Amino acid sequence: MRGSVFSAIREYLQDVYRRFQSIWGSLITAVPYLWGVGEQRKEVTEQYPDPVSSRTADDLPARSRGLLVNDIDRCTGCKECEKICPVQCIRVDTEAGADQSKLWVARFDIDYSKCVFCGLCVEVCHPQSLVHSKKFEGSVYELKDLVASFGRGFVTAEQRAKWAAMRQQAENDEVFP
Amino acid sequence: MLETLRTDLTSWEIGPYHGALPGPMRMKLRIDGEIIISTDLETGFLHRGLEKAFELHPWPATVAYADHLDPEAAFFGELALCLAVEEISGLDCPPRAQAIRVLLSELSRISAHLGYIVKVGRAVGAETLIHYVLRDREKILDLFELLSGARYSLNFLRFGGVAADVTEGFIERVLEVAELLRARLKEYNDLFTFNHSFLLRTAGVGVITRELALQSGLTGPNARAAGLAFDARKAHPYIGFDKLDFEVPVGRGEAGRLGDAHDRFLVRLRELSQSLEILKDVAETVPEGEFSRMRIDRDFEVPNGESYARVESSRGLLGCHVVSDGGRFPARVQFRVPTSANLTLLPEIVRGLAIEDLPVVIASLDLCLAEADR
Amino acid sequence: MSALPPENSWIAFLANSSDLAAALPTWLLAALGLVFIYGAIILPSGAIMSYLDRKLSADFQARVGPNRAGPAGMLQPLADLLKLLQKEASSAEWNWREALWLGVHTMALYSTVAVIPLSSSALLVNTDMSAFLPLWAALVLALGTMLLGFSQGSVPGWFGGVRVAAQALAGAFPALIAVICAGIHAGEFRWSTLAGAQTASPLTWTALCDPFQFIAFVVFVLGGLVMLAVPPMDAALSTQDIHGGVSSHLFGRRLSLFRLGRFYGFFLWSVIAVVIFLGAWTLPFGLAELLREQGRLWLVLALEVGWLLAKTFVLMLLVISFARVSPRGRVDQVTDFSWKVLSPFALLALIGTALWSGWGYLP
Repeated sequence: MRGSVFSAIREYLQDVYRRFQSIWGSLITAVPYLWGVGEQRKEVTEQYPDPVSSRTADDLPARSRGLLVNDIDRCTGCKECEKICPVQCIRVDTEAGADQSKLWVARFDIDYSKCVFCGLCVEVCHPQSLVHSKKFEGSVYELKDLVASFGRGFVTAEQRAKWAAMRQQAENDEVFP
Repeated sequence: MLETLRTDLTSWEIGPYHGALPGPMRMKLRIDGEIIISTDLETGFLHRGLEKAFELHPWPATVAYADHLDPEAAFFGELALCLAVEEISGLDCPPRAQAIRVLLSELSRISAHLGYIVKVGRAVGAETLIHYVLRDREKILDLFELLSGARYSLNFLRFGGVAADVTEGFIERVLEVAELLRARLKEYNDLFTFNHSFLLRTAGVGVITRELALQSGLTGPNARAAGLAFDARKAHPYIGFDKLDFEVPVGRGEAGRLGDAHDRFLVRLRELSQSLEILKDVAETVPEGEFSRMRIDRDFEVPNGESYARVESSRGLLGCHVVSDGGRFPARVQFRVPTSANLTLLPEIVRGLAIEDLPVVIASLDLCLAEADR
Repeated sequence: MSALPPENSWIAFLANSSDLAAALPTWLLAALGLVFIYGAIILPSGAIMSYLDRKLSADFQARVGPNRAGPAGMLQPLADLLKLLQKEASSAEWNWREALWLGVHTMALYSTVAVIPLSSSALLVNTDMSAFLPLWAALVLALGTMLLGFSQGSVPGWFGGVRVAAQALAGAFPALIAVICAGIHAGEFRWSTLAGAQTASPLTWTALCDPFQFIAFVVFVLGGLVMLAVPPMDAALSTQDIHGGVSSHLFGRRLSLFRLGRFYGFFLWSVIAVVIFLGAWTLPFGLAELLREQGRLWLVLALEVGWLLAKTFVLMLLVISFARVSPRGRVDQVTDFSWKVLSPFALLALIGTALWSGWGYLP
């Protein structure tokens, strides 16, 4: 009977049947979602920024790479982060401070317009002062506002002279106690 | 012989930005009515000088660049680079790190293939499927976030291991998600895979023959759909894939012809289920031990030499050729990307199709222009 | 139920309602009535359906859907309209050709407001062939849409226009045959006769009274989808390859006009499907007679319109849920479906209905 009129008609009818059957099959898969039957068919929309259903910074996992925060009290100004940064978004300026052992971090700027949040700077930070916070909402109106500054500020000439004297003093104390 | 409508030829330029295109590229079509006669491709709009950028950064920072080779499956670029560098410098990867790498590799593959289903679904206008798949891919992105802190650009691999050990509960979550996805795959099949309208759109459309695949150097799921059973995980095993038991699905031309768009879709679905199996096997037997041989070091130097590493990415064979002159910076890093082959045969396979099939064929090839333009 | 006489049309109804109305000329009354139908029935229906469509789709897709504008997002259609109205045009130049053909397309579409059957006492054009008028309007609409696409001078507009015309021609044939089937059953193509052939009981509805009529009903609905390019048969307006075809260059007010027109086409089609196949406006439990005896004609009118619209919305939601799970067809597949699947079944239904209805008269 192959190739005859009847088989052609049969194939045609089968095709029409499959067309409607597949619509029916798709519908019965999707229809349980209308009522959210079962735990796996619940709505999953996160209504950001409404905290009712969307996740807030506290819900993020511990390793989340959010905006960077530098604890300037612990920062030694070693510039490891500046050197490893793949996009050169960190800029650190240091100078000798009042204390012999610690540098004065005058500038510690992170340019978020360049940052790719790769986390390498955090990984190389020995004093562990630079960490990722969980904060992720960083939009601003001006491009220049994307620079986060953690530095202590540049020192004046007299301050610098004063610190040099203090260091000298400390050195002298060490040599001639 | 091309079926033509014998109308006047018209030219139509699509792009660089168009909803049907995978990224910025320009297609110059010559069309006869709705039938495509010839296609000129113009790519390179997304050229970022990525390979040059590798040469300008110290070795540890290059991993962050390898992430950006293919944003949709960032892990594979990292893996290829790390494998190549480890080969030159003779670092070996501890077994625990290897298991974590396999987990990440298969999770990335699943995530990329789910993204692929979304692309095809969008091309044929199946909205419901898109939402289901995106919802489930979210679970995998959450896993990435739990492990590495990032959802796309993981930057999690280091030379000689991984950046950190798995977090508490990660392995259990992986098993849970694998279980969930297994149920979801059945749902996708019921909803979409063998839907009559979907078969009409994809069966016999955009056929890649075995010869064409061989000629253009096609790899990955697209080549397997055309009948070439090549998988770098089997042919050039890395990170312990030789110890794992899995099958490589090959297209069978069930709906239309061998190597058509529907075959490519099916092969990816089957790969998804294979990846789920691998995930389950590996997650249950993650060995104890250290996760990295060395701490990250800015002054890390790679000895003089060169090496080539092959990785089976979600799109095909991803090769990474690394040349080192013994310094702190790479001398040359070059990638062999799977998308380039797809782009070369795209004009060939869309000839004679209607312009309405163009989005479907492009989506079914899973092009990634970020990777091709670099 | 007997067929309602033509003098029972809503013009007479309006004229009898008050002294002021009786003093007005008939044409003004008719125009006012049409504006009222458009403003009080069609526009709100559009808003309600757009909201229900979104909510239904969202429920299907494990989403929430609109929930911000107003209670449960019910003001979202209004918000969308306001947003579209304040959008700028894509080019500063006033495109005369586009405006002209958009005007023609819109007028062709809304000329059918005069024909739309909403209740036993809201029938303006109730002639013996009135069931074919919407079909004619849909074809004119396709012509207007095609020329609108051509006037844009872009490849997507061109293809969109040609596809709209192809789909309209393909869908018109089976839909026409399906109307004839219903006409054979009822005996005439007058709205009142078509509606009067059915009672409130679903078993007497034309679609369910015999198997061939059911085929005719399915063919009519699907043919309408093809004809008016409603999803999932919307290859003519596919966004993936041709940016939405005809609407690819429309912005702001024109786009909202176009979208509302598309909705109206679908709405009109569903109303007609309900009137000729799904029991029309006939109220259950003989409510209409009861209330008419009590002289509460306005209440009858409101209830009948409400009942008809409720059935229409259910039908539209069914079609929408069917569209949500089916991939979009290619235009040649859509026209193929219409010519090769719908048309043979329509002819089958025609022969079957003729035999079924004429069995008693055969020697």
